[in-house]
Amino acid sequence: MNTLNFDSKRCERIRQHLDSYLSNELLVETAGEVVRHLESCEACSRDLESRMRVRDALQRAVANRPVPDSVRADVLRSLRESRRKSPLRARVTRWAVGVASIACILLALFAANWLNGRRVEQSVASILKLGLSDHVFCAIRGHNYPNIATPPEQIRRKLGARHAALLQVVQKRLPGFEVLEGHICSVPGSNREYVHFITRGQGAILSVILTERNGASLPTIKSLVSAKSAGISIYEDHLSGMEIAGFESAQYFVFIVADLRPSQTLQIARGLAPALNEIFAQPHSKDFSPLNLSLAAPPNLQWGVRR
Amino acid sequence: MLPGRPWRFLRRTLLERGLSFRPKVQLEDFAAEAMPHLAALYRTASLLLRNRHEAEDLVQDTYLEAWKSFHRFALGTNCRAWLFKIMFHRLYHLRRSLVKASRVIVIDSFGPQGELAAEPSVPQEICDEDVLNALSKVAVEFREVVLLADVEEFSYKKIAETLKIPLGTVMSRLSRGRKLLRQQLAEVARSYGINMRTKPAEETETA
Repeated sequence: MNTLNFDSKRCERIRQHLDSYLSNELLVETAGEVVRHLESCEACSRDLESRMRVRDALQRAVANRPVPDSVRADVLRSLRESRRKSPLRARVTRWAVGVASIACILLALFAANWLNGRRVEQSVASILKLGLSDHVFCAIRGHNYPNIATPPEQIRRKLGARHAALLQVVQKRLPGFEVLEGHICSVPGSNREYVHFITRGQGAILSVILTERNGASLPTIKSLVSAKSAGISIYEDHLSGMEIAGFESAQYFVFIVADLRPSQTLQIARGLAPALNEIFAQPHSKDFSPLNLSLAAPPNLQWGVRR
Repeated sequence: MLPGRPWRFLRRTLLERGLSFRPKVQLEDFAAEAMPHLAALYRTASLLLRNRHEAEDLVQDTYLEAWKSFHRFALGTNCRAWLFKIMFHRLYHLRRSLVKASRVIVIDSFGPQGELAAEPSVPQEICDEDVLNALSKVAVEFREVVLLADVEEFSYKKIAETLKIPLGTVMSRLSRGRKLLRQQLAEVARSYGINMRTKPAEETETA
């Protein structure tokens, strides 16, 4: 008893370590200290022995606890059942996720492509609309052409020395069409000018319009090109009841506008495009470019037509 | 980096279910690795739950879960610890939905720290039934630590990982759980009148 009282503080400290000692979780130094104390302290040894006894009894009791055979059988059965279902399901899920991912990517690409196509299509249409509005304002609403064709000399004069040569090209390349009028028009409210030939044939009025590109150009997307002629891409659209074919030639946009079938308009454009390119490529082509934008509009201008 | 939840969702969906190149695992391999631990799992489960059926269900769920994620288990590592971890994970989910009926109110009156004379007198011979009876009266959060440490002989670190609690909590719960068990055993012994067979310190001193 005296020993217990004398060493009680030490015993107290050692007993705090007994649980960790029992679980073999003490550092070597502390474990050594505990062992040394246990050798000399009967009370603490008894305490440890009692703890070990409980632990052993617990291990024994749990180990002796029966495990019904049904547990093992049920577990194995449920595992086999899950094997029958899960690998297939997993495989299907994997495939589904894979296919869905690819579909999403394709859809995204398609959507991006479509949006881009739409954007380009709109930009083509906005350029072709220039030709349409020029035709409508001058030829259709303005009716700036005579019923009997203006003599070629007069047309050449109106066009000026720079563009007079174009008349011959138009006459030659539009078989079956009579050139009624040729002049230089200016767009109301803008300083843009365009060379305008008004022709008649196949029961319709057809305009050939050349306007300066000013650095703009038609996009080069194959899917939107309606036809090609000597490497020149021709775009065709149906806007406001008119068929418009347009292409680039030197620094000009050239438009063929008429109330005809698309194939007829395209055919005319195909015939005209190489000839125009040829004439612009000639050494005197500087005469054609650029249109003199600073040219003051003459006083007798009607619908922007300089006569 | 994406915030936690969507990132985890993506990872689960794409990596684990969809695009992972998991090796093909045979059920036989899994059974060979995991089935030897069935008895240990069942015994622990049955000592933590109210009845045999709940224990059986828990073990079955544990094995199904383990089989599903067996591709993530590194062969050669401690399969028993891995299974216990899964089982306790499921047990916590179960407890959330169950009424906490498995909790038993215990007399966990603790004397002041280091009170030597208060150490309960444990009988010399303890029968299995008494031990299990005494254990059933220990609160479940202490009981599970005692079972993992004393029966399964897991290290403190493993227990902390299995139960997802700090190491210090493992130590304090184990110490308290063991003491409660000794107290319960002393109680049982007293009720049977077998405490005469014990050798408490006082007896030795008076003798």
